[in-house]
Amino acid sequence: MPDGHALEILAAIDMQVNAGEAVAILGPSGSGKSTLLGLLAGLDQPTQGRVSLLGQDLAGLDEDARAGLRAGRVGFVFQSFQLLPGMSALENVALPLQLGRMNGARPQAETLLREVGLGERLSHLPRQLSGGEQQRVALARAFAGDPEILFADEPTGNLDADSGERIIDLLFNLRDRVGSTLLLVTHDQQLARRCDRTLRLNAGRLLAAA
Amino acid sequence: MKMPAFSMAYWRTSLHDPGLRLLLAALIVAIAALTSVGFFADRVERALERQGSALMAADLVLEQGGAIPESWLKQAGELGLETARMVGFPSVIIVDEQPLLVQVKAVGSAYPLRGRLEVETPNGNVGTAPADGEAWLEGRLRDRLRATLGETEIQLGEITLNAAGILINEPDRGGNLFQLAPRLMISYEDAERSELLGPASRVRYRLLLAGDADRIEAMRAWLKPRLLQGSSLVDLENARPELRTALERAERFLGLAALCASLLAGIAILLATRRYVDRALDGAAVMRTLGMSGGAVLRWHLVRLFVVVIAAVVGGSLFGLFGQQALVALVGEWFGSALPAPGMRPAFIGLLFGLAMVIGFAIPSLLRIGRVPPLRVLRRELDAPGLSGWLVWLLGIAVFVGLLIWQVQDYRLAGAMAMATLAALALFMLAGRLLLGLLSPLRRTGGTAALGLAALARYPQLTLLQLAGFGLGITLLLLLAVVRVDIIDTWQASLPEDAPNHFLINVQPDEAAALKKLLTERRIPNSGLHAMTRARLVEISGRAIEPTSYESLRARRLAAREYSLSFGAEMQADNRIKAGRWWNAEEAEQPGFSVEFELAETLGIDVGDTLTFDVAGQRVMAPVTNLRTVAWDSFNVNFFVVGTPALAGEIPVAYITSLYIEGSSEALTVDLANAFPAVSMLDLRPILAQVREIMERGALAVEMVFAFTLLAAALVTFAAAQVSRDERAREVAVMRTIGASRKRLLGAVLAEFGLLGFIGGLLGALLAAISGYLIAVELFDLPGRINPALWWLGIGAGTLVVALVGWLATRRLLAVPPMRVLNSG
Repeated sequence: MPDGHALEILAAIDMQVNAGEAVAILGPSGSGKSTLLGLLAGLDQPTQGRVSLLGQDLAGLDEDARAGLRAGRVGFVFQSFQLLPGMSALENVALPLQLGRMNGARPQAETLLREVGLGERLSHLPRQLSGGEQQRVALARAFAGDPEILFADEPTGNLDADSGERIIDLLFNLRDRVGSTLLLVTHDQQLARRCDRTLRLNAGRLLAAA
Repeated sequence: MKMPAFSMAYWRTSLHDPGLRLLLAALIVAIAALTSVGFFADRVERALERQGSALMAADLVLEQGGAIPESWLKQAGELGLETARMVGFPSVIIVDEQPLLVQVKAVGSAYPLRGRLEVETPNGNVGTAPADGEAWLEGRLRDRLRATLGETEIQLGEITLNAAGILINEPDRGGNLFQLAPRLMISYEDAERSELLGPASRVRYRLLLAGDADRIEAMRAWLKPRLLQGSSLVDLENARPELRTALERAERFLGLAALCASLLAGIAILLATRRYVDRALDGAAVMRTLGMSGGAVLRWHLVRLFVVVIAAVVGGSLFGLFGQQALVALVGEWFGSALPAPGMRPAFIGLLFGLAMVIGFAIPSLLRIGRVPPLRVLRRELDAPGLSGWLVWLLGIAVFVGLLIWQVQDYRLAGAMAMATLAALALFMLAGRLLLGLLSPLRRTGGTAALGLAALARYPQLTLLQLAGFGLGITLLLLLAVVRVDIIDTWQASLPEDAPNHFLINVQPDEAAALKKLLTERRIPNSGLHAMTRARLVEISGRAIEPTSYESLRARRLAAREYSLSFGAEMQADNRIKAGRWWNAEEAEQPGFSVEFELAETLGIDVGDTLTFDVAGQRVMAPVTNLRTVAWDSFNVNFFVVGTPALAGEIPVAYITSLYIEGSSEALTVDLANAFPAVSMLDLRPILAQVREIMERGALAVEMVFAFTLLAAALVTFAAAQVSRDERAREVAVMRTIGASRKRLLGAVLAEFGLLGFIGGLLGALLAAISGYLIAVELFDLPGRINPALWWLGIGAGTLVVALVGWLATRRLLAVPPMRVLNSG
């Protein structure tokens, strides 16, 4: 910080998510939800403490090893979609499959896109799709390769109520089919209620489990 | 909506915008390159001019048969010019009762006004004109007189002089090639006292003038109407044709060097602006949502850009001054104190240049900002429509051509460069499209290389921009690294080590055969004997020559002068026919003249005109059958006018030849003097050394200037890699999130940039080969060749360097945790 003091974003967090569980992390803006999600997924590293993902302690792993751990086993859905703008819907969905060197990446991606209702939009670029459609592509990409765990960061934050609802339905349907563990960050109580349990975060501290 | 005010905090924030930083850096490098080149080239050109002036010991020389009126000296003094009087005449000196013919040169105390005089005296070397009663002797005169410095008395007319020093270096010594008798230098006052300057004597008076170009011009204008018949004004332009050729070449090289830097800088600015605009679009969309019109948003960024230009001009000019100072430090021993102080003109040009570069290379891309859809605040992927890529490039090229014409002042060169740039861009675009077409299918596969190569196909506009940037950068680097060296080598080789270094003149016809035999026996390389005589041109196609009827002083001088008229059946090897044709065996038996092309142009002589020469009272008349160019800097025996052998039969001639003598020529001089007393030998080596030195200085100056082009090329490469940095950062973060390994991503980047480098290098080598060939042949009249190093350097180094740049750019992105990139929007 400019004043020389360290900024504490998260502290005293002790939590565990079991396989197949759906957990919501609920909290107001700036409470550290997304930061916690990034740490849990190995996208960033804590200055103190330990994180285990899929039974693996992330502390001993470098960036590459963490990426290797995620490849084909972890899916993501972001509030801002994070589709690659130069790639078509199909290419975006096929990407994790290709990175995981799986055969038949494109047919699989095509099936997933049909499942989320975008069978007619395979060759469209992200900018040619609506917000809801982009998030559906992101969902298809997240579930490509049947991930063991799915991280979702405010997946409806950028969408209207109808689109949001549709996305959530799709997310839970896909999750039920694949059987992934789900870790969902949201400030939407209703959405949190659809998960098996809810963790409340405030000012970087875990309040209580509900 | 009113434009928001710009606070200091705002500017500090702006400085952290990577796009703006890159733009500022590109502009600073561009302006620094241009002003370094400008300041340095300006100073070097002025120094080279002075070097040329040194060969006349002045900036302007008035020469005439009569004494220089006092009023002329007074006028020069009033104009603030330095002056020195000089008079030259042949005379006989007597030493120990032995007479000897010498060429007296009497100089005023201020001599030389330009260049350096070096005289060896018993008290060490001095650089001043001889004092009254003293004489400086040429080395060979001392040898002939067996003179002892400080002791030998020399009688000249009515005065007696002391042999006080030996002339080692006389700046204007080469002023007259055909100076036979050894030099005796005395003071001007002694010459007047000698009473040898009578009206009938063969005396040439000279007034040496030196000073600012403006004042010299004023003096020239003042003198022009006062010149007498047979007077001439000699300046650098008409002083020495071989020197002029060397200077013109040096100037062309410097001009070309400056142009390369400007072109690369332009591309760097184009790329930097794209990055700046890409990053500025979000903010622009917010401003539009808040109610600013597209035009107002654009104006807001234009103000920002203008401030950047001003900062870049200040910074760039300062770097330019440092840059040129570094150059001066590097080549200080070459130019010494003679290098004039930097002028303000290059800095002013830097400002105009900065504005022009921004107008041509930044603003067309910046227009996108004004067209950003406000909806972008909700849909980040919505782009702002810009001018089409072709139009952006065309506008840049148009400004570049404008700068070219402005800087080189040569429409032909500017046109050629513009065509070359357009052709190069067309080639890169065409190759780029072809490449994209071929890469498309790769998007369906998932291998590491395919991942990288497919990235090229995903961003076609960016790929074309990068390919053009890398490709032009590589082309220019190859031109600098390979073609430039080749051209300079060829240029220097055009004055070979074994160029003739002695002339033998006044060989009588009855001595020719014996002399030829002697040269053959001694295996002395020579140019063969050429018959010649002194002649004055009196009529062109029946029109009497009237020097004053010509506009230019050069034409007047050429019309009034005596020519060495030669005769021969064969054309000199370094001559090239420009019009008509050289005579065959049959035509050689008919009267005919061949005239040097530039002389013919100056005097208005065409093939078919009849020329009449006066040769010692005898009129020689013949039609002009051809015009030819002459390589004056070859130092072969060359003539403005050559007649057919048929003409030689009618008139008395002497022969002349040029020789290459390795080492000392003294033994041959003695033998020649014994066998052929009338033949005079002239040592050209001091003049050759002077000309070679000027050429070398020119080449060195060019190399220095090109160092800045290298900097600009490095920036282009960096900018081309940086332009996609934001997209790449996001791409890398997303790919890392979904599990791509570092090795995989680096491999993809290496494949992507490596392929760009490979194609850019291949095309760059092709373009460098073609343009290098054309530059050598068309621009410098040198034989063209294609260096095979172009291919392996272009392709090999292009692939490696561009891949390395891509790797370096991406390596840093990989170190950033993906979450940070994704959270940044």
